Amino acid sequence: MKRLVSLIIGLLAICGLLAYSSSQLERSSGSTGDKVLNLYNWGDYIDPNLLTKFQKETGYHVNVETFDSNEAMYTKINQGGTHYDLAVPSEYMVAKMKRAHLLQPLDKSRLTGWHNFDPQFLNQSFDRGNRYSMPYFWGTLGIIYNDKFVKASQVQHWQDLWSPKFRDQIMLIDSARDIMGMALVTQHQSMNTTDPQKLLAAEKKLNRLAPNVKAIVADEIKMYMAQDEAAIAVDWSGEAAEMLANNHHLHYVVPSEGSNLWFDNLVIPKTAQHYNAIYAFLNFMSKPANAAQNAAYIGYATPNAKAKALLPKSVRDDRQFYPTQATIDHLQVYRDLSPAKVELYNDRYLEFKMHH
Amino acid sequence: MKQKLAKVYLILVFIILYAPIIFLIVYSFSQGETMTNYHGFTWRHYQTLFSDSRMLAIVANTLLVALLSSLIATLIGTLGALSINRTTKRVTRESLLTLNNVLMVSPDVIIGASFLIFFTMLKIPLGFGSVLMSHIAFEIPIVVLMVLPRLREMSSSMLDAAQDLGATTRQLLSQVIIPFISPGIFAGFFMALTYSLDDFAVTFFVTGNGFSTLSVEIYSRARQGINLEINALSGVMFLFSLLLVGGYYWIQQASRKRKHRKREVAS
Repeated sequence: MKRLVSLIIGLLAICGLLAYSSSQLERSSGSTGDKVLNLYNWGDYIDPNLLTKFQKETGYHVNVETFDSNEAMYTKINQGGTHYDLAVPSEYMVAKMKRAHLLQPLDKSRLTGWHNFDPQFLNQSFDRGNRYSMPYFWGTLGIIYNDKFVKASQVQHWQDLWSPKFRDQIMLIDSARDIMGMALVTQHQSMNTTDPQKLLAAEKKLNRLAPNVKAIVADEIKMYMAQDEAAIAVDWSGEAAEMLANNHHLHYVVPSEGSNLWFDNLVIPKTAQHYNAIYAFLNFMSKPANAAQNAAYIGYATPNAKAKALLPKSVRDDRQFYPTQATIDHLQVYRDLSPAKVELYNDRYLEFKMHH
Repeated sequence: MKQKLAKVYLILVFIILYAPIIFLIVYSFSQGETMTNYHGFTWRHYQTLFSDSRMLAIVANTLLVALLSSLIATLIGTLGALSINRTTKRVTRESLLTLNNVLMVSPDVIIGASFLIFFTMLKIPLGFGSVLMSHIAFEIPIVVLMVLPRLREMSSSMLDAAQDLGATTRQLLSQVIIPFISPGIFAGFFMALTYSLDDFAVTFFVTGNGFSTLSVEIYSRARQGINLEINALSGVMFLFSLLLVGGYYWIQQASRKRKHRKREVAS
């Protein structure tokens, strides 16, 4: 008994020590007091040096909290009990949050960096006139190939994937919208079509791809490609950037006939409290030098035209991640479809997976 | 021959269990940025880890929540086990136990989601308090399950003997029952501790307002691929737990020796 009591006291002492040190650590990074900004972001999706720089310039400390999927973020914000000032949803989630009245409009008169953005990445279907969102990063859907097994000229277009040469060599990302979209593009259809006939035709098309498909996988696709497990993969540019960094035999192609264009965006959720900090941060992040530094750290494509100009030539002329204007013109942004239409996509995709 | 095979088997199992951890730690010293190739020795990842005050604050928070919650859960759980054991009516006891077990087997995601709804309904702000409370809540059933078997083993004649010798209820508890069930209490405490340390699902729902724990942070970073700072952190945590286990062993050895000596003096 005596031993137990002394153990309990010892543990409480350790707890006290931990509480003290955690509060010290938080103070040393300045997270107490009123001058704060609560940012709800994807994990490791901003250069930490920028946060220090922001605090030095404006005095606002940024508390970063992280999420791992759009849906998780939506749930947390929708449920309340949190005080996020800024969040970073993908484009379809912006539309969904807007419909659920979870967003506050941007006050354009307080934004100073708006002219830095490339107009072709503004005013998209998910948020006309950018009333609620400021683009953060953008990217595409494309083909990753391994030059040990495949020549560049063999995989420049979606249709090339159907070639009998690639039997059992292709990995697909497990995403209904993207894989169905790919099949629709090869048939010169919109990636947002809701015509059941066209979707059925796309499924038929995918079924013919089945002999070439080695696997339909999720995040592991990065690992498999880095380890030369498959010759070809269909995945997003953000993932591709990581694969390329791990294996220099890999290359990324955005088919010029069309593909998906996705965005991650900064938005102000209903839970926001620190408006001065929010606009200071949005203006800070849209400054070309800062946006360029962030893009260099993350490795995704920046929608900030002036920032792109500051990036090294090897990066901004990299056609893998900054495709030519002609290709960009063919890219399509996913429209937020009604649940019934999403179901339609999922059903056709599931049929294909079962067929596979 | 059979013994040798058994030994080989044992060694093999340990290798399989420890290899991933060793692998992780080895790469924390790699000069590269990812775990695909080893690029020569460096302390760099440890340096970034120890200069990342946000990460260190999260580590401190995680340990604090784990220790405090398992301490409180052990207290409540032990008391609960004592009272379940004392219930003489079989139906009541069984239904209490079943209610306890339902909490054990229900998925973390459900528990987490219901806590989130519960806290926001009561307007309790999400943060340290909400995480602590929910951890205590899901640890209590574990402690109860660890303590109860020890209580069942205890023979009632021992208690009768103590009472015959004039022990008050308080003495009975502190000098007979608690010492006897203390292995169960310790086991419950350590189980609760590990549950708290690696819980993701429940914690994810109830964190907020700048407060976060390790599992939530690491999981969110996975979108960009785990960087080697996490490896360095795993290395430090592994060393920490080794020290903890070593310390526990040392304390036990010391107390055993002390008891031994006492007995010798007595005889």
